[in-house]
Amino acid sequence: MQWRKLRASFALHSRVLDQAGLLFRASVSVQHPIQGSLAFSNERQYRTMPTHGIGKYKHLLPKEAPKKKKERQQMKQIKTATDAEYGTLNVKVSGYDMILVEHYSQYIHNLCNRLGVKVAESYALPTKSTEVMVMPEQGTKMYVDAILKTHERIVQLSQLNATLCPTFMEVLLKNQPEGIQLSVKLHTEADYQARFKARPELEGLMAQMT
Amino acid sequence: MFLSLMGVDGHVSQGPWFASVLTLKTSAPLRAEPKKKKKVDPRREQMVRERLKKKLKKLERVPPELIPIEDFTTPAKYMDETRVRGAPQLPFEESERRALLLKEWSRYKQTQHRAEMEAVGLAVEAQREALEELRLESEELYQAALRPDPLLFPFNHQGPSYTPPKAQYEAPEGKYNNITKVYTQ
Repeated sequence: MQWRKLRASFALHSRVLDQAGLLFRASVSVQHPIQGSLAFSNERQYRTMPTHGIGKYKHLLPKEAPKKKKERQQMKQIKTATDAEYGTLNVKVSGYDMILVEHYSQYIHNLCNRLGVKVAESYALPTKSTEVMVMPEQGTKMYVDAILKTHERIVQLSQLNATLCPTFMEVLLKNQPEGIQLSVKLHTEADYQARFKARPELEGLMAQMT
Repeated sequence: MFLSLMGVDGHVSQGPWFASVLTLKTSAPLRAEPKKKKKVDPRREQMVRERLKKKLKKLERVPPELIPIEDFTTPAKYMDETRVRGAPQLPFEESERRALLLKEWSRYKQTQHRAEMEAVGLAVEAQREALEELRLESEELYQAALRPDPLLFPFNHQGPSYTPPKAQYEAPEGKYNNITKVYTQ
């Protein structure tokens, strides 16, 4: 008798659990159709509990694109001049004194941020070393007088308003430190390629192919 | 066509090396038939081309590297730990004076910056008002005023110098050599 009662109670219990499980599985499959398949793949005891998956939060976060380890440096699109704005401009700051050059380029960057001009990129070009050879008054042999290093920094602006441009240029010119050359040019692909190392083998093969 | 040594004048020659002067000097390869083109040749050219293409593909797969900038690498002689100098011990008044000087300087620079930003704001506002007036005058001129100036670029400007250039200055003879290091991948 007791055993039969136990069996009956067990049957009821299992029926309730099954119903709960079915309900939960249905809800799981409705909300997370991807995870519903996993629920059926491995049979684990506690998946039938109503608190299953209570700690899940990753499905609520925004989806991140998978990170590629090697990110190839793609050239940013060179914008052309429109009716009211200039295209991609390169503001090049060059000089012999690295500190002044750096500080001036930082000043330009901050000014652009403040005035609302979009800065596409801000990078440095490789330093150029120039050897000054001097011919003495007595004698014919030239000797090395000094090595001058020219540092260059570039601030790339993308959308400069044509009305804001004269004010912007005036501010730049007023704050130009001594010995620093400022040059503003349009950005070209040749400028972008000049930043990379030369590949003589590739160029040789290309010449051979054509 | 190719005359044989035996046939033309009837003289019996003792070999290809002893022909008379009147005959056409023909050598063995000349007398032979034209060379048959080997079937392997176009295939060989194709193979060479395929090899070149494969090499190109391999090289192109490697992304180009940026030239390293010498400014950003500290030279080795500054990393020498034996030459480190400790901070000097300042008396109290000196450190106080320096702190107060820094505050004065920052206040001065702040007023300068504020004045600059105000000036920029005023200039932009004045420009905007002028453009509004122009718009009321004529729409065409307004549109022309908004357009960017193509003759502005390239723009170069030298910074000021401490001293003006000397009137009659004779520079010593010499020349400049470019010794920038060329990097290849």
